[in-house]
Amino acid sequence: MSPVTTGEPEGEYGGNVVPYRLKWRPRGVRPGAHPGQGDGGDGTFRTLVPLVARPDPRRIDLRASLRDPFEGVHVRTFAPRRATTVAVLTDLSGSMGFDGTGAEVARLAATLAASAAATGDEFTLIGAGGDLREDAFIPATRRRGLGAQVAAAISDATPSGTSTRGLATAAERLPRRRCLVFLVSDFLMPEADLDLTLDALWRHDVVPVLLRDSRTEGDVPAWGLMEVADAETGGRRLVFMRPGLRARWQATARARIAALEAHFVTRGYAPFHLVNRFDADALVAFLAGR
Amino acid sequence: MLGLDVDHPALLFLLVLALLPLGALPLRGAALPSVALVPRDGLSIAVSLGIRLAGTFAIGALVLGLAGLNLKAREVERIGSGANLMLLIDRSASMDNTFADRAPGAGEESKSAAAKRLLTEFLGRRPRDRIGIAAFSTSPIPVLPLTDHHEAVAAAVAAIDRPGLALTDVGRGLALALDSFDASAASGGSRAILLVSDGAAVIDPRVQAALRDSLKRSPVRLYWLFLRTVGSPGIFDKPRVPGEDTPQAMPERHLNLFLASLGVPYRAFEAGSPQAVADAIAEIDRQESQPIPYLERIPRRDLTRLCYGLAAAACSLLLAARLAERGLGARRRTATDLPGIDTRRAA
Repeated sequence: MSPVTTGEPEGEYGGNVVPYRLKWRPRGVRPGAHPGQGDGGDGTFRTLVPLVARPDPRRIDLRASLRDPFEGVHVRTFAPRRATTVAVLTDLSGSMGFDGTGAEVARLAATLAASAAATGDEFTLIGAGGDLREDAFIPATRRRGLGAQVAAAISDATPSGTSTRGLATAAERLPRRRCLVFLVSDFLMPEADLDLTLDALWRHDVVPVLLRDSRTEGDVPAWGLMEVADAETGGRRLVFMRPGLRARWQATARARIAALEAHFVTRGYAPFHLVNRFDADALVAFLAGR
Repeated sequence: MLGLDVDHPALLFLLVLALLPLGALPLRGAALPSVALVPRDGLSIAVSLGIRLAGTFAIGALVLGLAGLNLKAREVERIGSGANLMLLIDRSASMDNTFADRAPGAGEESKSAAAKRLLTEFLGRRPRDRIGIAAFSTSPIPVLPLTDHHEAVAAAVAAIDRPGLALTDVGRGLALALDSFDASAASGGSRAILLVSDGAAVIDPRVQAALRDSLKRSPVRLYWLFLRTVGSPGIFDKPRVPGEDTPQAMPERHLNLFLASLGVPYRAFEAGSPQAVADAIAEIDRQESQPIPYLERIPRRDLTRLCYGLAAAACSLLLAARLAERGLGARRRTATDLPGIDTRRAA
């Protein structure tokens, strides 16, 4: 499966559209692309039921009724097609200010915004660091050409602060109905804060997007000196790089990623790994396998 | 104990600047989302500490260099074996003549030249003596205080055959020589005055009293090397007629008597020829040999160059650290160069 190019002129962003489907049936009244809950007069054919079970003579399936050797009268039932809301809940704490991370998040969010528009779903962007960030908040909308706006909002919002507690608060801005939430973060947060956020998102279908950069996972020169500065606290530490330390660094990083994955698995979530660059093909493959 | 000193103490306030490198490294630094991603590493901490200390050291050494750090001039007590020897040399005009009392001709040497040659040899045999030189003529002339710098002594001795002055004032010369023994000479070792003259003069009674007085307080050995000119009165001559036995008539005899009456070890050598002078000096050489403590003056040593050298070394360390700095580089295009991580794991 590859991303569909819609041809809509949305600039740098939104050219790619990734198809997605839901594992659950959205509620709601607005017609959309996803099979929804309940019965409806149109939409995806679901099954045939006896007329006594659903006394709706308008939907009598004549061919099925005639074919029935027991001469029962059958009525067609349909699943209604409903729209849902796609939300990108992005971490804007200081660590997200790491070189180039914001641009990749912008591309991911813009692609999702364009995809939501193409699928007929609403899209909302919520950014939060220590607190909710109003400059990175776009209420749920179905407007077209949202990709560029989303990308600009993320690019302009300078990540700051040392806390991610705002993510839990931001969950209140999400629709009351279950929706698809992409939780974008590097997840460099205490486990308690991560649990707080995931608890607040219990209602929703959460796709953790794990932002990774190979440079932070030990893809560094074998020899040399480097003074690393913490993007959040500004604390500095000298690293005397050498092959042995690099191997330890990489092992530490692998252990951290494995621990994070295990944590998500306990809640039934599978994270999407955004490594270095946003790759739309990888996202398509990931969403197809959910 | 090190006698460290600085020329400009006000500059030492700049030493506060040496604390600055403790707070920051001379590196650009690379931002990471979190430094906790980097494993703890003892060697890195040690290197970091080393760089900080090198910075502190560089600034500290520079400031000390600017302030002009030096080792103060000081005095060190040393033990030599020999004597504190004061050479008291007659510089009267008659010393310029030969022993035959003539102006020196070809192949002859004057009394002062002979004394110079013999004293130079004498000094060569006694490298551990502390020697001072005083001269006297119409007035006493301090030439060199007691010292163990034998080049200076040799140079002073080499100058005694310069043309002399008029008269001979032995008494004040002796007083000057006695005053030349300083406190260090008093602490130990034998002290001697070697009077080299070719004549004598009447010593004023007041000067006589002063000499007796100071010799009582600090006794010294006295040697008189009398360079006797042919035909002149000797120091051991008996008066031929009783009326002649006055200091005015026979100053040599009476100076000898006066010196002998002072109550300190005293020997007189009457030398009528260069050979006799050599014998007399050999005798003195035998007599004066005891361990003596003395103070040696060590000149100030400038440590500025050392400071600048150390600062340069520390700076080159910092430069090496700066050159060894590597950055994180640009964001990678793909994840394929990340070993052991499957980017499509979740797919």
